Amino acid sequence: MIKKLHKLFSSVKLTIFLFLFLAVTSIMGTIIQQGLPMERYKSLYSPSVFSALKFFNIFDMYHSWWFTTLLTLLSINIIVCTFKQVPRIIRLISPEKKEIDDTVFKSSQIRKTLQSQKKLSDIERQAEILSESLVGTPVKTVKNDTIYFLAERGRYSRLGMIFVHISILLILAGGLIGTMLGFVGQMNIVEGERSNTVKLFGGKGTEKLGFHIRCDDFTVEFYGTGMPKEYKTDFTIIDNDKKITSGAMKVNHPFIYKGLKFCQATYGIAGVSDLLIGVKNNKTGVKTALKPGIMKKVPLPDSNASFAIAKFVTNQGGMGPAVLGVLLEPGKAQHDIFWIFQNGHNINQQQKSAFTFTLDGFSRLYYTGIQVSKDPGVPLVWIGFCLIMIGFILSLFFTHKRIWIRISASQDKYEISIAASVSKNRKTFEEKLEGLTGKITVE
Amino acid sequence: MNDTFIISIVTFTYFLAAFVFLISIIFHKKSVDKWALIITVAGLMLETSAIIIRWIHSYQLGIGHAPLSNFYESLVFFSWSIILVYLIARKRYQNNLFGLLSTFFAFLILAYASLSGNVNCTIQPLIPALQSNWLISHVVSSFFAYACFAISFGTSILYLLKIKMKMSILPDALFLDEITYRMISIGFVLLTLGIITGAAWADRAWGRYWGWDPKETWSLITWLIYGAFLHTHLARGWRGVKMSLVSIIGFIAVIFTYLGVNYVLSGLHSYL
Repeated sequence: MIKKLHKLFSSVKLTIFLFLFLAVTSIMGTIIQQGLPMERYKSLYSPSVFSALKFFNIFDMYHSWWFTTLLTLLSINIIVCTFKQVPRIIRLISPEKKEIDDTVFKSSQIRKTLQSQKKLSDIERQAEILSESLVGTPVKTVKNDTIYFLAERGRYSRLGMIFVHISILLILAGGLIGTMLGFVGQMNIVEGERSNTVKLFGGKGTEKLGFHIRCDDFTVEFYGTGMPKEYKTDFTIIDNDKKITSGAMKVNHPFIYKGLKFCQATYGIAGVSDLLIGVKNNKTGVKTALKPGIMKKVPLPDSNASFAIAKFVTNQGGMGPAVLGVLLEPGKAQHDIFWIFQNGHNINQQQKSAFTFTLDGFSRLYYTGIQVSKDPGVPLVWIGFCLIMIGFILSLFFTHKRIWIRISASQDKYEISIAASVSKNRKTFEEKLEGLTGKITVE
Repeated sequence: MNDTFIISIVTFTYFLAAFVFLISIIFHKKSVDKWALIITVAGLMLETSAIIIRWIHSYQLGIGHAPLSNFYESLVFFSWSIILVYLIARKRYQNNLFGLLSTFFAFLILAYASLSGNVNCTIQPLIPALQSNWLISHVVSSFFAYACFAISFGTSILYLLKIKMKMSILPDALFLDEITYRMISIGFVLLTLGIITGAAWADRAWGRYWGWDPKETWSLITWLIYGAFLHTHLARGWRGVKMSLVSIIGFIAVIFTYLGVNYVLSGLHSYL
């Protein structure tokens, strides 16, 4: 049983199967939008389809039991395969034994035997050139009248594959730590207000921070086209009612505090402040400025009427910002309710009213959307990312090459045996070798 | 001079280069080879100048940024990458069919960029999310990867034609298989780098290095397919027809990562 399992997990077939299976199943999550509230899915699918999708956790499939199982199987597969390779790689990268092993001339991947009647010194020189141009400067050894030239290069490139596999494990481990111990969410804070509550993504509830973050100011700049150019939040961290630090947060310039990362993610209009309403008394012609808050009744000058603002709208009927005003005049059975615009148009106001209103000024009250995340797995992931690139560079740009050349006298000529091994690009190496050996035998 | 006008000349130049490569393949004329190469290099130089002019022009408009930020600019850069990868790889794999393939792909991409109605070629300002130092390294590594995959896709198709249709005009099957493998292994490393730089950027912009956004997921799907390809090649010694099929499927995933996600699915990468 254990033997069977070991065989399964040490097979590359399993790796290829898992890679392709992960690839195919991952497509689902890009078609079905992830992490929406359950009510949305219920309205999108019929009850039977919904329950089937829910059973396989398709609505959050990348964190589902079966996806995690696939990743776990892949990790075991990588661990077993890598461990299987370790002894061989240690043997390959550990320094060559001093003694020469003649079996390489029978067992190595690339072998060649030549005869030559040239002078020994010429043959030696050519053997040197051969190894120099194929691998590197050779070491000459003489044993029992037999001359050996040995050269080796790029031994550590063998580590590349191990590095890549270890780094995948590190990245997966980092991801697991992040999912288990971290969170991602958003907090929307209106200018001037503070909050310590993060609403987690995917409907996973809320997370209380041990401190407050206050939005002191929010500013947004636009290009001429109306596209946002830059937006930023001036904020203060308040821990135990003490101001800890202040700063500005911009898109792509996050702020880190107590292991939490704060990113400027979005913004919106929360409301309005500093409303300024111009009132003209149509009888006297006197203009006055009012600063009513929303839903606060103010008396109108030189009359016993009063006025209040019911609400502010950023764009009323496509005509721009407006407030809904309420005019209360004593002796009238009904309040006069009407829209007041910046240009002085008062829609729905009674014709014979004694007052004319204009929306003279206001300032928008923004809320800032800050994405908050905690992920203790990030350092592992970065180490994994660095290691994977080192691994790729080692295995892509370097080749482990070895060559053994043996020159032995046999009767009136010399026998030259060549053995070589390369970790990749064997075909090119053999072609080169073929071209160079031609020169040795040519009289 | 207007950069989009230069690009239309470049489009024609690549078409001409592809045509001359075709002539040299059909008539086996060595003297024609040289001309095909000269035209290709001239096309690349013109295209490079168009990219630089566009870059300078964006600064003159007061919205200066590297021209790698919208669909049109990405198409231009994609074709530029293919020709550059071809010229670098040419040292090792001198074959006119390889040249024909690369110039023809570059031509198709530019023709689409210039002629298709839904590619906006105006210089647009950068939205805040794109204002990052990671933009250049992320886009360059991703598109060089795409270029390698495009070339390997071409050689895989030719390989299948060679094996199944026995077309004698095509180069040796082993040669095509070799280019496919080399291009995919380099493309795979560049794709990995593209994903890593993207993750580093996402971590700064959104506070997480990976969020299963459709674009991210599709880049992973592509990575898994080519990863499977390399494992079958290196560890199991697969060659030939099966490999070509995996390479073609991989390129379909590349196209979907590049275009499909923007046209079909929705996500954070909607600006490309």
